[in-house]
Amino acid sequence: MITRSELNRVMEKEPKFDDIMLSLRATGKQPKGIIGEVREVIAVARQFNEEVVRPSTLKLDRIMHEDPDHLAWDLAKKANDRGLYTLFLPKIFGGKGYNLSCVGYFCEELASACGAVANIVGVHYLGVTMLFSSWNLKIISGICKDIVDGEKNGEPCLLSLAMTEPNAGTDSQNVEFMDTGTLACHAHKTVGGYRISGTKIFISMGHMSTWHLVHVYTDLKRASENTVMLAVKTGTQGFSFGKKEKKMGQKACPASELIFNDCFVPDDQVCIDNRDASKLRRSIKETNEQIFAYIWGASRMGVGAFGAGTARAAFEEALKFAKENELDGSAMINQEWCQSLLAEMYKNVLVARIAYAEATYANGMHGLWRVINFKPMYYFVKHTPRAVLSFIFPKLSQLGLMTTLFRKICFDYQSKDEMDRVDGWGSFAKVVGTDAGIANARLALEIMGHAGVRQDHRAEKILRDSKLFQIYEGTNQINRLNLFKRLIMRQTPQASVFSPVNV
Amino acid sequence: MTESNLKELLLLEKASSEFSKKVLAPEREENDRYPFGPYFNHVVEKAFRLDFFHITLPQNAGGMDHTIGAICIVLDQICREDSSLGGIILTNAMAQGIILASGGAGLMKEIAASAKEPFQLLIAFPALMNPSEHSKLPSARRKGGGYLLSGHLNYLVLGGLTEKAVVPAVIPGDKTYSFFLVSLKNPGVTVGEPVMSHGFHACPACDVLFSDAEATLLGEAEKGPDYFTQMAGPMQLAASAMALGVMKGSLTEALTYCSGRVQGGRKLKDWSAMQLLLSDMAVQTHVADMLIKRACQAVENQEKDWRTSVDAASIHILSAATHMTSDGIQSLGGVGYMKDFGQEKRFRDAGHIQALLGHAQMKKLRFIKKILS
Repeated sequence: MITRSELNRVMEKEPKFDDIMLSLRATGKQPKGIIGEVREVIAVARQFNEEVVRPSTLKLDRIMHEDPDHLAWDLAKKANDRGLYTLFLPKIFGGKGYNLSCVGYFCEELASACGAVANIVGVHYLGVTMLFSSWNLKIISGICKDIVDGEKNGEPCLLSLAMTEPNAGTDSQNVEFMDTGTLACHAHKTVGGYRISGTKIFISMGHMSTWHLVHVYTDLKRASENTVMLAVKTGTQGFSFGKKEKKMGQKACPASELIFNDCFVPDDQVCIDNRDASKLRRSIKETNEQIFAYIWGASRMGVGAFGAGTARAAFEEALKFAKENELDGSAMINQEWCQSLLAEMYKNVLVARIAYAEATYANGMHGLWRVINFKPMYYFVKHTPRAVLSFIFPKLSQLGLMTTLFRKICFDYQSKDEMDRVDGWGSFAKVVGTDAGIANARLALEIMGHAGVRQDHRAEKILRDSKLFQIYEGTNQINRLNLFKRLIMRQTPQASVFSPVNV
Repeated sequence: MTESNLKELLLLEKASSEFSKKVLAPEREENDRYPFGPYFNHVVEKAFRLDFFHITLPQNAGGMDHTIGAICIVLDQICREDSSLGGIILTNAMAQGIILASGGAGLMKEIAASAKEPFQLLIAFPALMNPSEHSKLPSARRKGGGYLLSGHLNYLVLGGLTEKAVVPAVIPGDKTYSFFLVSLKNPGVTVGEPVMSHGFHACPACDVLFSDAEATLLGEAEKGPDYFTQMAGPMQLAASAMALGVMKGSLTEALTYCSGRVQGGRKLKDWSAMQLLLSDMAVQTHVADMLIKRACQAVENQEKDWRTSVDAASIHILSAATHMTSDGIQSLGGVGYMKDFGQEKRFRDAGHIQALLGHAQMKKLRFIKKILS
């Protein structure tokens, strides 16, 4: 009926088959074992919600209203005791080794109980994502060991990601803006490491994290070509915490200021810099863009899942309220207007979930965890005894050769189309999921009337928590432009995005 | 409108504008900490001295005898910076409106004349409720010449601060509810702690338990829905004026921030995608402003179908404000979510305002039922 070459030619036309049929393509490519893993992590999250989060979330929110300086260590320790901070660390680095394709579903579950607690756990994996995007196996191995040790000794070892600066939000997150922006965190190469100075703000979980993955710049005027990713440990001389922001919601997850004052970071904590990037196939600027695509593709998928979780939380509160209350003389649940709104909310949850699930497939086939989703690799790691892995891999990861090999696979063998797909679907999932969160939280307040504005009925907290998801990791406005850049713009070669032409 | 009326309104506008900028804005964040921070008694005291709580009371009831347009002007100005005080003004005006609708001008004059400080004048009221929508109201049992109230009333706005409240209750055997004036100092009244709420932190509400609490029937029994309708007609417009103030405050904040903040080497105001968002915010604000002015005119001239105009304007503006304040946060990015800026409070307050005077969806259903009938 149609020749292979003809089929390929037609499928390359927009919308490209590979861009829009992610779940269909993943059906054959993704290891089947992941399905069971997803079921398990959902169960773990539900149990954590039932036993820890739901009984404490409103009380914790109230405590944070009363004392904005309170740090929710009690909750972080409970998450640590249950192994949530090593859940998605690969077995080869001592973690529990649940596949990263499960992260979105896990995030949705946590956020369905509390947006702040979802961050207390989820932000750690944002840091993990940034760490892994450098593919520096030596540092990855060392930091993962700290996290695993932290679980064993009951002292959580958490990671944060630090990009945003006082005058650079969007400027710090897109290579297009870095050179014209107002970045100020400067790194100066010195013998044995870097000396860094500057301030990072809005760093989720900063005050509670042990390791901070930080982007700094050796040339502030050409930052896109001079970015350094460092791992800085709490307690390092020259590094201190500034203020904690007073936020509208997600109060239990601190947003911190990190201050670097001539802070020395040794070479063995440099995740990636120009010395490494210059060895790769792409230009340094393109490699930095690729690192962003890896990070945002995965993390924005997760934020989309948070959005789906809060959309679900709002739906569940509204449904419960409608089941238990009468309005205008009859049970709300039997009034058609109410049924229609509840159906709308349910639809929003489903759409949000489908969006982040597709983004998950994009990451699994083309993004951050493509290597571990490669079937032979997946089953080798899954069925090899932990003792064997923990004996071999920490030693192997110390070899520069392993980092070179992984970087070759992950940077050089990722095509531009694949990068677009991962980053584009990340933005899509974030916008869809977090808009659904706000839409449902608003509807919940409308359905619940005056009960909706009470903190003890939870819906208003869901609305406050949901709002941050539309802002961080790039506002939804920026993510729409990024979606255009990644999945739409290439259809029109004359188009440009993030450009002064738009003024 | 006469020239002297116009002059008075301009003076009121100026006074409330200065009050908003000089008294409310500088302390907004601190005042919003209630009940975990001190209450802004000094602010309420100043508002009392400026007669902001007497605006719609007729002269024969000790008030300024202004029209609905006057209270809209004041609420618009005040809610640009802090809707909590707007919530107090509106709640009190609702309670006064019920007393006046029940023929209680004399009673209201007595209350106003004896009030030497704000909370002697202010009257608590379940401002977020249309009692007709609820089946679980307190009951009122006749005893001697008065009544004894029993049962729970949730979310009585200003309940923990004032001496008196106007509350709905049902007399056993009656088909519908009636309104009562009750002293909250009465031994039969248990007022709970301030309810932690979405917005309006300094306009707190409490859950109240009545246990044979002495109360006075306002007007006639079973006339509650009539009094409520009389009061709610114009007061819906006042609630919309609060939303308008929140919208204007949001627009000013967004324009100021986007004119100064540079990202990607350009001011935010020069990003065309951001211009679109700001344009939406500006359009909604101007539409709301026009709607309120037109609806006020309809009420003041007692036009034939003024209630329809008021209902339509109110439903539209209250909903628009929730979306517009959300866009306001987006325009500010991360700082929009932080308490140092006023926008997160406007976002919360807009959600709170939408719940005033009853269930948002019920308002829509009643509106279309009226048209269909």
